[in-house]
Amino acid sequence: MSNFKYPIVKAFVAELIRIFRDPGVTVIFIVATLAYPLIYRAIYWNEQITDVPVAVVDLSSSPQSRAFLHQWNATPDIRLTHTCTSMAEAEQLLRDQKVHGIIYFPRDFARQLADPLGQAHISLYCDMSSFLYMKAIYLSCNNVMLESMRNIQIDRYEQMGVDKHFAWALVQDAPYTETALFTPTGGYGSFLIPAVLMLILHQTLFFGICMLGGTAREENEETYSFSSLIGRAGACFTIYYGMAAVLLGFLPRLFDIPHIGSIGDILLLIGPYLLAVIFFSLCVSVFIRNRESGLVLLVSSSLIFLFMAGISWPKEMIPDAWWYIAACIPYTWGSHAFIHINSMGASLSTTGTEYIALWVLTGVYFLLACGLFYIRRKKLITEN
Amino acid sequence: MRELHMMFARPLYLFASVGVMVLSTFFFLTLMKGGTAEQMPVAVVDLDQTSISRRLIHEMQATPSVDIRLITNSYPEARKAMQQGKIYGIFVIPEGFYSDLVAFKRPQLDFYITNAYTVGGNTAYKQMLTMVNLTSGAFQREVLRKKGLPDDVIMHRIQPLAIEGHMVANPWGNYSVYLVSTILPGILGLICIMLTIFAIGFELKMRTSHAWLRAAGGNYTVAMIGKLIPYTLIYLILGVGCHLILYRFAGFPVYGSTARLMFGLLLYIFAMEGLGITLIGLLPTLRDALSIGTFYAMLGFSLSGFTYPNMSMLAPVKALSYIEPLRHYYLIYVNEALMAAPIENSLPNMLALTLFMGASICVAPRLHRALVYWNYPLK
Repeated sequence: MSNFKYPIVKAFVAELIRIFRDPGVTVIFIVATLAYPLIYRAIYWNEQITDVPVAVVDLSSSPQSRAFLHQWNATPDIRLTHTCTSMAEAEQLLRDQKVHGIIYFPRDFARQLADPLGQAHISLYCDMSSFLYMKAIYLSCNNVMLESMRNIQIDRYEQMGVDKHFAWALVQDAPYTETALFTPTGGYGSFLIPAVLMLILHQTLFFGICMLGGTAREENEETYSFSSLIGRAGACFTIYYGMAAVLLGFLPRLFDIPHIGSIGDILLLIGPYLLAVIFFSLCVSVFIRNRESGLVLLVSSSLIFLFMAGISWPKEMIPDAWWYIAACIPYTWGSHAFIHINSMGASLSTTGTEYIALWVLTGVYFLLACGLFYIRRKKLITEN
Repeated sequence: MRELHMMFARPLYLFASVGVMVLSTFFFLTLMKGGTAEQMPVAVVDLDQTSISRRLIHEMQATPSVDIRLITNSYPEARKAMQQGKIYGIFVIPEGFYSDLVAFKRPQLDFYITNAYTVGGNTAYKQMLTMVNLTSGAFQREVLRKKGLPDDVIMHRIQPLAIEGHMVANPWGNYSVYLVSTILPGILGLICIMLTIFAIGFELKMRTSHAWLRAAGGNYTVAMIGKLIPYTLIYLILGVGCHLILYRFAGFPVYGSTARLMFGLLLYIFAMEGLGITLIGLLPTLRDALSIGTFYAMLGFSLSGFTYPNMSMLAPVKALSYIEPLRHYYLIYVNEALMAAPIENSLPNMLALTLFMGASICVAPRLHRALVYWNYPLK
């Protein structure tokens, strides 16, 4: 038994030494992994986009349109910054990116509202250069519109002699409340940062392992024994377990983004996630010939992994073929599991599908790594 | 020239970069079915369990923009489905809904959405509003119909105020148009900066720069230009190809001048090359320059502001975004493709991109020394 154990321990220690002797890898493993989250937190500092500048073209210049504008301006989402006399003038502002939206009241706006059977129109123009502008402008305007619409309806029914209570029952027979569950602020950072934390772990580990593999190959120091596989995996796992605990357990608290999950569940999730990533990376690293090649992989894969996982772009809208490929990447399952636990307070058993998938990937990539290491070792022996 | 020979002697990087670009283009164009997220799975919790609540659910299911994946009478079950990422919204019909409705007691509907997934949650939110309006308008419509009013009058009565939304330059609200238009040039830029650093840095790493300078007759400028011409040709082919695919074949809109947008892309490519030279000039160790260059260019995706607008960033972060060429390309893209703005609006950004090229001239003496004296650490 000790015969078997000894080379593993040796490989484990050797790998730790290799990692800390190689400044490039140390920087990736420790510095980059800790610095990246801080940078992303700084970029997405303001959760909500507020005070989007909007231009007004009010041809009706009526008390009604002014009341509408007043109410809309009071919402945090937008700010009415320019009043224009013509659409051409407002379009110029939009083109120059001075405003990101235009609201237009036609000449007959007040007349249509006064007509008990009329329908008044407001035109809203949104800058589409970023979707968040549209969201801020459109949703806030829509809410103000719904509210004033109800008041108009009530007024009209009252003019017809309908009792106010009954009028309300007619206009809004079933009022509603809306609640954002789990992440009440609903900011962009709250959404993106958990996914980014998982991606940082995935990609730094992936890159670091490829870099170590490439360097070893450049310097003809590669070893492909079974014990070196276990030892190398063990060394990375040891370093990264602590890193992951800091990133996933502590940083959401420090950053004040949602963290309603149980720490115990997160610590349990880290295990299979790291193992799956490590064996996945070890499989890839067998094919890496030199140090810099990993960088090409890192660069090309990061955005693809992020989008393929169905985080930014909902997974329901991803074609099946891409989704099957995504299912082979540990990040896909890990990111969803972490979001479920950390951002939505799911228990580990609730997100069981993802958790089991990570163990399955760990098993598959472990066996694959064993196979690849075996082939590679045979090849090295015949070459020598 | 010598570089052509070297390029083909080490085809891996060349193929890798062309491959990455082709793969990314293919990936991002096929990833988003249709480019608009129209319906997201939601759940309905029916605590009322009456004929009217069932009819309501039926009506919602018939609405094309609504996808009801789960109908249950247990809220915890729906909540769990949300935690599992199976649904993005929960619509609750309360107990006693029907009896309250006919008694004019205005029963309260509740809906819940999740923001843990932004696009999914937003789409579900819009869907929920549609569902609420379906419910809310139904009763009034019935009453007015019984009074014998024609449908168009009922419509105006129910909705005396309407918003006509105009999405400027992207009337379909197509997500992929705005995303892919900046991501693909971003990836191209990454390839430019990496390959440029690599091409020069590899000579330094292998200490072959003397042979390179000799081939150029000892002239630094000739050596540099000779080396970069073949790469530049590749970038340009990739850039033009990407441009043609997006704006010719995929039919992405360009409201302004295609030529100026293309010119912007070319400037952007040169800017990224210039940055590459600058970095390897400052840090003549291949690995360091490569890491920094990648890091720099990767941040460009977030800093350019095409997903999360720059106006909401902190002032120092906003300032930082101006040293990202991708930010300038994105602004040129907005001006040319979306806003059809006059050229004055793009000129400052085009000038900025030119400055990035200029920066590479400033490091020329330092880089020249490195090529001649190898005065840098190897590892």
